[in-house]
Amino acid sequence: MNAMADKYGEYKVGSIFLYSHEAHPGENYPHLTSMEQKFRHARDLRDVLDVTRPILVDSLDGACHRAYGSMPNMTWIFARSGLIVYKSDWTDAHSVENAIQYFSQIPSRRKVGERLAPFHVERLDYRNQEREQFYKCLERNGPKAVAEFRKAFPTG
Amino acid sequence: MDDRLTRYNYDSFVPEKFEPWMNFEASPKTGTVGLDFPLWDLDQTPTRLSEIWSRHDYTIVEFGSFT
Repeated sequence: MNAMADKYGEYKVGSIFLYSHEAHPGENYPHLTSMEQKFRHARDLRDVLDVTRPILVDSLDGACHRAYGSMPNMTWIFARSGLIVYKSDWTDAHSVENAIQYFSQIPSRRKVGERLAPFHVERLDYRNQEREQFYKCLERNGPKAVAEFRKAFPTG
Repeated sequence: MDDRLTRYNYDSFVPEKFEPWMNFEASPKTGTVGLDFPLWDLDQTPTRLSEIWSRHDYTIVEFGSFT
C-alpha cells in the first residue's frame, strides 16, 4: 500500500492510514485505554512497519471506524467531494490499485467531453492470505495474541 | 472507561468480543457522501476526515492498527 501511494501520488491520489483499535491485543501491545497509548502504538506502526503514508488517529471510542463498519483492515476510497466510490471489507493492494487506475481516468475523461453517469457494481475480489507474515505479526503482539487467534480459528 | 470504550477496545480476541463490531454490511453505501469525523495526526494536531478527502481527486483510507 505504501508503494502504491507513492506511485499514484502524482495523479492527485492521496493515501492515509487510519489507526483504529488493537485487533489482536497481546502482552506487548495490549488493548487501548488512553489516547496517549493510541498515539504511541500508531507511532510504533510507523517506525516498526515503516508505514510511509500519513497516519491519522481515530478517537478512543473509534467513532469513525465504527461508522464505517469496524472491520480490522478495510479500505475506502473517497472522491474530493466526499463521495464514497470504493469500499472493501479487507485491504488488498491489487484490488485498490485496480480501482485507482479506473477512477484516476475519470477527471480526464470528463475534460474531453465524455458524459459520465455513476452506477453500482459488486465484485468478489481475492487476496493473498500471507499466513506466515500474519503469524509473525501476532508473535510481535505477544503469546496471548497467538493463542487467542489459534483458539478462535483452529484451522486458520 | 465507559462501557462502549471498554467493549470497543476489547482486551481479548474472542468471538463474543470482536464479532459484534464487524458491521460492514450496515456501513455507508458507495455513491453517498461519507460521514465526517474528527481525527488527529501523530503530532496530535486535530483534523477531520473531510479535510483529508478534500485535498485530492481521490483519497485512499486504510483502516487498521499495529496488531
